Amino acid sequence: MSGRHEHPHRFAKRTPVRDIDHYLDIGPTVVQVDAPLVDVARLAISQPRTRLISVVDAEGRLVGVLPVLRVVEELVVRLSPEELMKDIVDLESAGRFGREVGAQVAGDLMSEPVFLRPDSTVADAFRAMHLHRYSGLPVVDDERRVSGYIDLLELALRYLDELPPGVPVDAAAADLQTSVADEPAPDERPAGPGR
Amino acid sequence: MEVWVAALVFLGTYALIATERLHKTVAALLGGLLMIVFGVLDQEAAFEAIDFNVIFLLLGMMVIANVMRKTGVFQWLAIRAVQLARGDPWWILVVLCVITAVASAFLDNVTTVVLIAPITLYVAATLGVSPVPYLIAEILASNIGGTATLIGDPPNILIGSAAGVDFPTFAANMTPPALLAFGSFLLLARFLFGRELSRQEVAVSVADLDASGAIADPRLMRISVLVMLATIAGFLVAAPLGYEPATVALLGATAIFVLTREDPADILADVEWSTLLFFVGLFVVVEGVIHVGIIRAFADGLFELTGGDLTVTSLALMWVSGAASGIVDNIPYTATLIPVVQQLGERGVEVAPLWWSLALGADLGGNATIIGASANVIIASLAARTGHPISFSSYLRYGIPTVVVSLSVASLWIWLVHLR
Repeated sequence: MSGRHEHPHRFAKRTPVRDIDHYLDIGPTVVQVDAPLVDVARLAISQPRTRLISVVDAEGRLVGVLPVLRVVEELVVRLSPEELMKDIVDLESAGRFGREVGAQVAGDLMSEPVFLRPDSTVADAFRAMHLHRYSGLPVVDDERRVSGYIDLLELALRYLDELPPGVPVDAAAADLQTSVADEPAPDERPAGPGR
Repeated sequence: MEVWVAALVFLGTYALIATERLHKTVAALLGGLLMIVFGVLDQEAAFEAIDFNVIFLLLGMMVIANVMRKTGVFQWLAIRAVQLARGDPWWILVVLCVITAVASAFLDNVTTVVLIAPITLYVAATLGVSPVPYLIAEILASNIGGTATLIGDPPNILIGSAAGVDFPTFAANMTPPALLAFGSFLLLARFLFGRELSRQEVAVSVADLDASGAIADPRLMRISVLVMLATIAGFLVAAPLGYEPATVALLGATAIFVLTREDPADILADVEWSTLLFFVGLFVVVEGVIHVGIIRAFADGLFELTGGDLTVTSLALMWVSGAASGIVDNIPYTATLIPVVQQLGERGVEVAPLWWSLALGADLGGNATIIGASANVIIASLAARTGHPISFSSYLRYGIPTVVVSLSVASLWIWLVHLR
């Protein structure tokens, strides 16, 4: 276990992620853009709690993100494509299936990078994950090298754990939602896929 | 003054549709409303111009198609067909084209290609080749297949309703040329795609696919297929019983609601309301230019130009419609040409060959360019999303020869059957 519980830390909505990163247990999973998807899947299963994979180029800079679920779907496409075919009812789902069926390496499946900076706040993190529907996000430094990872569920639980005694969980959650809605956009600079 | 206002609103609306400066539905509704606001038509006349047989026929078929597409029946059919081809690239292309063409004859072309494309992408990935030849072939097959029936393509629905032609009569006149055009297309495809397909190796892994796994809801599939077949049967017997096609389509849609017990709100949420309102706006815009006499004047000019010669008028109508449909949306084009044909009929020209020529030209011409029909645009978008973009110029290599061959075959048919 990390030392988080031995050194309780009250983090708030405006606390920068650099101040909480080392209190969180779940770390980043990083793969090269040209990594074969089977290798990506093996790495993902060795770090099952990280649900968003960071895809980096040869210099180690973040060039995309890849949800583990999409890697799973790609493997299902190889093994039992008909299972996914039956869910195709529109152009969007057909396009997603087409990408998965033709994908070979991480770069084929990844989406544009979404990330946090060390000075992004807890509210930024919640807002970005809600906006992009990701369950975690990498933290990158000034050269866009992955330096950490914030998991949504872990962050939410830590946030709730460290509320002052007597504060109802529902009220805290509502307060946080209001705060997230009011906050400015998080630091995200979508870059080209870099394939 | 009224004539100029109507002409300006009409041209403005069509310019907005063609340039996509506004969404086509918004442009058509705006044009229709301006015809009322500027006094070209009063509201009563504008609403009377809306052909509810067209609107409700489209609505009914959209409901049936929306339920069918969620069942996986098309994916099941496509997998079975590909397995029948035993992994041979050429025969895979043929069976996928046949399924696409047949499905497009009864469902809208966009739904058909979106449902057939995934198996195509899978097959191409299995073969380790580009899916582009297969996807282009499916576009071409879809637009040819849609030509065959009254419900296959929106221009057909417009023409069938305006001409008062029932489903069997429409099929008797349009299915043979559509079959000939499709057969010619397959022969041409051997030349167009043969070289690319010959480089591909026979794939065996397609045989491992479990077609039954593609069926999402067996009960829903049985019901929707039965309702679809019953609706087609209904179209065949409706006219002698005194029913319009829209009544049959709505009966089919209602049967879907009753038998499946699905929430109507869910099914109706997927109806393309914007398409239906596009038609509503167009009917009013076209009625505006009819009302002020522009269409009559245009028909007079056309009659003088052709000397009222049926052969010249009919073949010119087909080829001009074919060329126009490759560039502009064939729905507003057809909506405008319908009253022109009616006006020619009032001058004593036999209209039946003109209706078939207009339908064949408008439907088959959509194959010419990658923007010629909705199915083309959708497949181009899908191909780009999957990393296989189809450029405008690369598509022309396949589109133009296919249109020239299919319109030639259709011209020969019209001449032999109606003009000789």
